[in-house]
Amino acid sequence: MTDERPSDRDERDLLAAEHALGLLSGAERARAAALARSDPEFARLAGRWAGRLAPLLDEATPVAPPARLWAAIEARIGAPAAPPSNVVLLRRRTIFWRAYAAAATAIAASLAFILVTRPPATPPVQPPPAGAPLAATLAAADSPARLVATWEPASRSLIVAAAADMPSPAGRGHELWLIPAGGKPLPMGMMPRGRPMRMHVPGGMALREGAMLAVSVEPMQGSPTGLPTGPVIAAGMLKRV
Amino acid sequence: MILAMDQGAGELARLMAAVSAGDGSALADLYARTSAKLYGICLRVLGSEAEAEEALQEAFVAIWRRASSFDHSKASPITWLSVLARNKAIDRLRARRPAAETIDAAHEIADDGASALDLVEAEEDRARLSHCLDALDDQPRDAIRAAFFDGLTYQELAERDAVPLGTMKSWIRRGLLRLRACLER
Repeated sequence: MTDERPSDRDERDLLAAEHALGLLSGAERARAAALARSDPEFARLAGRWAGRLAPLLDEATPVAPPARLWAAIEARIGAPAAPPSNVVLLRRRTIFWRAYAAAATAIAASLAFILVTRPPATPPVQPPPAGAPLAATLAAADSPARLVATWEPASRSLIVAAAADMPSPAGRGHELWLIPAGGKPLPMGMMPRGRPMRMHVPGGMALREGAMLAVSVEPMQGSPTGLPTGPVIAAGMLKRV
Repeated sequence: MILAMDQGAGELARLMAAVSAGDGSALADLYARTSAKLYGICLRVLGSEAEAEEALQEAFVAIWRRASSFDHSKASPITWLSVLARNKAIDRLRARRPAAETIDAAHEIADDGASALDLVEAEEDRARLSHCLDALDDQPRDAIRAAFFDGLTYQELAERDAVPLGTMKSWIRRGLLRLRACLER
């Protein structure tokens, strides 16, 4: 940069960018880290760079983590290096376990229910109450894949579990789609391998009776187009349980 | 993207406040709402489920401890959480690299987390950032992306592209200034 030498102000902002991106090593890195701790203005510049680049993170496809991870996090948090009083700690742990146990019980109950019963083949006579749980059996004529999905509106919890082998070519995964009645497919994220997909779905998503859920084979990072690109190996309609 | 968190930004901000007050059930709720997005980010950076699981755990431990440093006036909760998850994933990536910094240096970086804590978000969106990155030459753009997603330092980028260190620094620094100018235009 001999012909366009940055100003002192730019030099400082560039150091902040280098710190935010992690470009530095050794002594330079330690110096920038120390500056970020001691100089709020420098920290603000670094934070500004982190904010500028943060939209890149939207490129990452959401993937439901394994269900056991939450228990691991709770265990790490429940035993802090310098614990507060035992009473506070116990109370905290109780709150955690209560929330976790309630969620786990609800999931187990709904899955067990789905696996031993079938969604009704005919629509119910009564219109369903607004908060009624829904379920779908996902299958396709030319595919061995078979999944069950349950939707709990009260907790906005969607669970999709494979009930049979899920064929997928090497290096590819399964993406879940929601297809609202009369709408186009909305990506719901890549499904984890070998375990149920569990997700909390924000309000406003059209998870209603009559909407379809579908699973397609996609690159591991998810469909590049935002619409299914691979074969749809299973699909089914959400119905009242 | 289905987990379009902006719909629930107000709810996430409320949960962050509750978490900073030590409310464990709020952390459980925050986890339910954001873990798929944050795990996706860890997977994108680390490329391994086992490593991404570790990074996600570290991210949530950090959220539990540092939620009080989140400033709603500077950034949206989901952006703050996403950058924190990215930084945790990059820390792990570095720690497993043969040419990693010393353990002390790695700890120093992991613990300061300044870039996440003081995150300042402007109105830039993904489309605008894409446009401005596309306007850069190939080498600086690729290098900036590799630093962001793969945690590569100047030294590692220079070795990867077989160019002198000074050349790599010059590409990136010029690229960053152009990027800033484009985003502020």
